[in-house]
Amino acid sequence: MHSKQDKRPTLLWIQGVTCNGNTHSFLNLPNIDQLLSKFRLLNHPSLAGEYSFEDMLTCKFQCDILIFEGTYDPLMKRGGVLLSKIVQHYAQTAGNIIGLGSCASFGGMFKASAPERNSGLIFNEEKEYGPLLKYKAKVINISGCPAHPEWISYTLSMIAAGKRVQVDELHRPIELFSTLAHHGCTRNEYFEWKVDTKAFGEKEGCLFYQQGCRAPMTHASCNKILWNEVSSKTRVGTPCFGCTEPNFPRQNLFSTKTNMSIPVDVPLGVSKRSYLTLTGIAKTFHVKRLEGKLIDYKKTD
Amino acid sequence: MTIKKLIEQIEGEANIYFDMKDGVVDFATVSFPHFRGLESILKGKHIMDALVITPRVCGICGHAHLMATVGAIEDAYKNAGEEVLLNEKIQNIREFTLIMEIIQNHFKWIYLTIIPSLAKLSQSQEIQTPLKGAFGASIASKALATFAGQWPHSSYMVPGGVTADPTNMEILKAGSYVDELISFFEKEALGISLDKFLNLESCKEFNTLEGDIRELEKALAQEEMNKKGFSHDRFLVLGEHNYTTPSKLKQTRAFSVDAKYVEDVSTYSPKEKSYAKNAQYKNEYYETGPLSRMMAIGFPIVKNMHRRFKDSAYSRVMARVFELAYLLKHSKSLLQSISIDELSYVKTSDINNLTAIGRGVVEAPRGPLIHEIDIKDGIIQKYKIITPTQFNIGSSQKSSLTPAQKAMTGLTQEEALFVFRTFDVCSVCTTH
Repeated sequence: MHSKQDKRPTLLWIQGVTCNGNTHSFLNLPNIDQLLSKFRLLNHPSLAGEYSFEDMLTCKFQCDILIFEGTYDPLMKRGGVLLSKIVQHYAQTAGNIIGLGSCASFGGMFKASAPERNSGLIFNEEKEYGPLLKYKAKVINISGCPAHPEWISYTLSMIAAGKRVQVDELHRPIELFSTLAHHGCTRNEYFEWKVDTKAFGEKEGCLFYQQGCRAPMTHASCNKILWNEVSSKTRVGTPCFGCTEPNFPRQNLFSTKTNMSIPVDVPLGVSKRSYLTLTGIAKTFHVKRLEGKLIDYKKTD
Repeated sequence: MTIKKLIEQIEGEANIYFDMKDGVVDFATVSFPHFRGLESILKGKHIMDALVITPRVCGICGHAHLMATVGAIEDAYKNAGEEVLLNEKIQNIREFTLIMEIIQNHFKWIYLTIIPSLAKLSQSQEIQTPLKGAFGASIASKALATFAGQWPHSSYMVPGGVTADPTNMEILKAGSYVDELISFFEKEALGISLDKFLNLESCKEFNTLEGDIRELEKALAQEEMNKKGFSHDRFLVLGEHNYTTPSKLKQTRAFSVDAKYVEDVSTYSPKEKSYAKNAQYKNEYYETGPLSRMMAIGFPIVKNMHRRFKDSAYSRVMARVFELAYLLKHSKSLLQSISIDELSYVKTSDINNLTAIGRGVVEAPRGPLIHEIDIKDGIIQKYKIITPTQFNIGSSQKSSLTPAQKAMTGLTQEEALFVFRTFDVCSVCTTH
């Protein structure tokens, strides 16, 4: 319990339609204890807070920071209370509201549970829509399926320090979402020289041309700061599925839509014509080093 | 008199309705009020998309869902006349990452769920250290992500193998995370070495422990949990892995099993609509999870505990601690058996031409997880998921109690609420 002198901002973490992925992603944060020490945690889906969840449902409290995880479903009830009532109550007086994960940001995976009514807090995919539009100036979206723990840590720490978090047009922090998932990809040479990966389970080749990789079109710092501090999807040969973008989840996630063997969706900001030209030229260079295996374990035995 | 209790921090929420008689639970029903409809979301999608969608069933055991999807697809290939032969490297890497997910789950369950719940029951003033659980889990996730790219929500298992092609560097690194985890577990939880712990022969030797597990065990005994929380004394393991044996046990008698005999039936939840279904094996309810898995392999100390305390809440909790220790040790040997020169992926025929049904069965942290698919030219016609919590926490009539209902009967409300959590409930999985 807190003392009356405790001036730390209060934090409340509420869930809508969710898988708990952001909660578990957050629990991986290396400095989680230091971060949590900056706040009074009122209630959380898996960590002990000052109050019970039932206390929170009475809507007799207020919080400084509201974290909302999951898709917003206006008809959902939590503990018998309409989610719309809970969200509106805490949003009204909160200084900052965080839409955590792609579900809360844009509808995400669980928009499909009830597509006619489910959405994010202030966006339905990329269209402005949702229960908290009137408070949109105080909403920060940390998209991602799940959101990276360091992104949560950054946003909360900025708020705790009283610093302004500059956001993009989808209300995502610019410092986290200005670069693409492609930045820092260890397969960059294969991307440059347009060498496709031959199959799954290979260190070699770029996943963009056949396997559906969305990294060149996806705002995220996954390959810059890495997941669990060790790796990323593309580093282990899994294509990026574009999980931080409003159109996640797309369909046919493991294949690239192509036209005359060139991806239909080209890297962000690049004109299709230029990309076509560049690709044609790059492909004429046969870089032998990039065409074979990097390591032949059988040979070195 | 019926008393309703809202249960939170179980990966979502549930309601328990207690019918009390003479101060103890006479009958309890459980309802899960939330619905997400993942099975219908999957319908009509390309089967490869299931590798991205099903891990999102659950934030804490999504990797098990990924493996169940891959298993179901590979089974479909087999049913279509093309057996997908996985080499040892692929099998070992998949097993390793699955085990790391179980370990992260158990760390969280011990420190974020069981120790605090027990403290609440015994009104202990001990300072809680839930972040030890988060720390342990985060190290296991690092080892997992070394092969799978990230946790939660990796999609690195694909029909025919894994997308990763690790070098010795990654394998060594994963090994050092496991070593770090073992040291942490020995220092904080056990107070003795992992090997010593695994070689304990009798519960009486638990007084040689010094860490958090010693306190946990003492508190369990103080609350007489070795005399409470009994279920049917029937155990079920269905997933094929090299750390346990598929079987059903009635007391200690083991029988062979086949997942095709699992069925889900409607719940009995008279007070509120529940979106869960109960899972049965040949019309009977069985307990699933760590106690079942450790009984299935006849793990000495767990057998000893069972002989003395049957399937009490005490045995259920301690079996999970032992499973964590056992899997830590086992995971080291898995890493050592990865042969670097084997392929990470064996090519299958074009999945766009695959028309077949398939079933994937995995031992997830809480027990058997079953995915059943029906695909036509690579497109999902039907997708069915049965999760471990459906076995343990069903809600049935008084004449045929589910494991959790049986275990809560005859206890005070506070005790029943604790015993409920000994099953490690996952709400989101249950209602997928």
